[in-house]
Amino acid sequence: MKPKVAFFDFAGCEGDQLQIANLEEDLLALLGQVEVVTFREVMKEQSDDYDIAFVEGSCTRLQDEDRLKQIRKNAKIVVAIGSCAAIGGINSLRNYKDLDSVKKTVYGDNARLFDSYAARPIDAIIPVDAYVYGCPIDREDFLHVVKSLLLGKKPETPTYPVCVECKKNENVCAFERGQFCVGPVTRAGCNSCCVNEGTICWGCRGLIDNPNENSEKEVLIKNGLTVDDAISKFRLYFGWQEAKR
Amino acid sequence: MKIISKSDFDDFVNNLINDDSLNVIGVKARGNKFAFSPLQTAEELRLDYDVTLLPPKKYFFPQRETLFTYDLAGGFSAKEPEETKPMVILGVHPYDIVALLHMDEIFRETKSDPYYFKKRESSVIIGVNIQKLSKWNFSAFMGSSTLDYGYDLMLTDLGNRYIVNVGSQKGEELLSKYAKNVTTALARDIQIAGQKKREIMNLSQQNFDFSPELIPELLKDSYGRSGFWEKHSEKCLACGSCVLVCPTCYCFDVKDNPDLTLEAGERIRTWDGCLLEDFAKIASGENFRATRPTRYRHRYFKKGKYLYDRFGFVSCVGCGRCSSNCLPNIANPVDLFNDMYHEMQNSGSRIIASATPEINIKTEEDINFVPKLATIVKKTPMTAIETLFEIELDDGTELGHKPGQFVEVSAFGIGEAPISLSSSPTKKKTFEICVRKLGNVTTRLHKLNEGDKVGIRGPFGNGFDVESLKNKDLLFIAGGLGIAPLRSLFNYVLDNRKDYDKVFLLYGCKEPKEMLFGEEIAAVALRDDVEMKATVNWCPENEVWSGNIGVITTLIPQVSFDPETTLAILCGPPVMYKFVIADLKNKKVPDDHIIMSLERRMKCGVGKCGHCQINQIYVCKDGPVFNYAKIKGVPEAL
Repeated sequence: MKPKVAFFDFAGCEGDQLQIANLEEDLLALLGQVEVVTFREVMKEQSDDYDIAFVEGSCTRLQDEDRLKQIRKNAKIVVAIGSCAAIGGINSLRNYKDLDSVKKTVYGDNARLFDSYAARPIDAIIPVDAYVYGCPIDREDFLHVVKSLLLGKKPETPTYPVCVECKKNENVCAFERGQFCVGPVTRAGCNSCCVNEGTICWGCRGLIDNPNENSEKEVLIKNGLTVDDAISKFRLYFGWQEAKR
Repeated sequence: MKIISKSDFDDFVNNLINDDSLNVIGVKARGNKFAFSPLQTAEELRLDYDVTLLPPKKYFFPQRETLFTYDLAGGFSAKEPEETKPMVILGVHPYDIVALLHMDEIFRETKSDPYYFKKRESSVIIGVNIQKLSKWNFSAFMGSSTLDYGYDLMLTDLGNRYIVNVGSQKGEELLSKYAKNVTTALARDIQIAGQKKREIMNLSQQNFDFSPELIPELLKDSYGRSGFWEKHSEKCLACGSCVLVCPTCYCFDVKDNPDLTLEAGERIRTWDGCLLEDFAKIASGENFRATRPTRYRHRYFKKGKYLYDRFGFVSCVGCGRCSSNCLPNIANPVDLFNDMYHEMQNSGSRIIASATPEINIKTEEDINFVPKLATIVKKTPMTAIETLFEIELDDGTELGHKPGQFVEVSAFGIGEAPISLSSSPTKKKTFEICVRKLGNVTTRLHKLNEGDKVGIRGPFGNGFDVESLKNKDLLFIAGGLGIAPLRSLFNYVLDNRKDYDKVFLLYGCKEPKEMLFGEEIAAVALRDDVEMKATVNWCPENEVWSGNIGVITTLIPQVSFDPETTLAILCGPPVMYKFVIADLKNKKVPDDHIIMSLERRMKCGVGKCGHCQINQIYVCKDGPVFNYAKIKGVPEAL
């Protein structure tokens, strides 16, 4: 019997689910291996009977916690997909601001009607079995994780930074192009896709397990970034991780 | 020596490009840098470059390479990749050619790598002498700024013409087939070319304060140099850039990449690097170079000492790529070795070059990365996490192993894991492995049943030298899963019992339910030609144990053996060795009477991928069986 899979979203842009919906011919091959029972972005039907739950978005409210716990209860395997679910993502930027003013910015006069707290990745609430990092996720990386899970294998997630892939791809280093990159402390697995296109790594896959943050900040500053800008660079995606460290 | 005008040279390059049977590669601009890439026209070729982002080794040992594709549907089939077109690589600097010569020896040692050599042997290298020197380059110090061999053709730019050194028959033929108006060089041109080569090297901005020949000597006493490695690696990002861009680095990882049918896929190898965090991590979670300073140090030792001791060369050609790619600027070998030299001088050390090591490189056969298909004929669960598998090769051949060797076991789609053989070679037709459920491959193996297929490569490793054990007293000391490899020798000894004198077996586990081969051990206990003692660290209330309680070392005083005639044979978890060895030494057992089996993250099985390397030793090739006298000074071993 094919494993049943379900997709869920919390605070996020649903861009990761869009990546999956856009898998094209691989999507058909994937549907040969799994049965999708819930996927709001592409179908009407839904079910509470599933084996693997893919969760997108970060947890930003108390009531999100109950829903997450229910998903954990229903699923044998919970996979966090995308930066928001896996590492807190850009939602965590607001954790560095006053919550009331954040609410006011978003909801204006209706701010008091909305409940909210510091944004956090889903593993701050429930145990997570596997992660697909990225903002948005990389389709190949998603398939790698799914294939591993279907084969009963713990997905191999790189513990090394993006530089490894950048070097293999023979990119000119962003710093050599006069840009500022956090690839040296960011978890690889994206095949250095942004730098391949001539830009920089923004850090969307989060910090590696043992980053040398001080050295990276020193590199950023030595190459001309102000201390404040270096801190902002880290906060964009590493906000939750840094606060926890 | 020949001369060719630049316009005739362009025609020569275009003629090569227009020959569809060739894959013509040259140095092209990439942003404000340079890279070897396929050439579309001669105009793209930039022979005035300083250094390329990656060295040309990527064409012989690619970043990602398919070792074979497999398909499990309708029985197992495996296919090695098809051969590719011969390459002509244009514009290789001398240091990169020297690096390829290093790689040749490394990939040829013991077992030859067919993937590398197929491409290497069919290709043509057209070198060019350096015209613009990278500010990081120190190849002049490493003896690799110019060279007289190792290329098919070598160019020197003389303004409107190139002087061409012909280095091989292949080069000669290439010229006569694709170039016209090639004339014999005049003495004047030869002299100018010689001057140009010397001039460029005088522009070196990197300077060693001592002769780099002394590098192995400096390193000899620097492994434990207090604070030195910590100081230099403090800013290390562990990003691996220094090793990934290195023209002489060759470490790789092997992985399975299944397709979405999950039944077919490919096994690939990808570049790996010893600076990366998990490089020396094994399935049990132990990481024998867990910290940045230890990995940072390993790189310098590997280049400057370990490979030197094995091959006689310092495996650095001075291209400067590591220095230029290191963002915190801590990877420059010139800076590090100068600092080491001054520190040693200030402390009054005398640094004198020692004799070059004796080199004994042999090639036995080609590496075969494609496993043989085999069937699990019997599966015997032994504990909650350990299972004994009896396996038969499907082609009907014998594995033909020695006690103490290991095999690489494949679960297709998951990967490959090294597992020690548990059965004696006296057992014919099938062999046994005792597998602990730890990583991905071993977890999968535990889900397989009798009749299921696995892949087998090997046997690998040196194994025990059973001849040298003859007529000796043998003291087997096994801790936990360590009994599994020892059993291959122990059963061999029992099957040839008359060849050996006294036999002792000391076996320890954490608790009774973790005891492996319980029935066999019980049967051994009844024999009068073996003295057997077993112990557990503790016995929980719900378990039964009538033997000794205590760690394995508590058994040593309980047997009386003659240290002069006894060989102690050890295998167990890393923590066991230190204590057992100390107790054996107290009993006056000489160092060379202690034989041990070590396991590390063995991956390729043949000493190429770098993962099993502990200091200068490749466990998978030089071991896993070692005499203690030989490895007691190897810090990463124990």
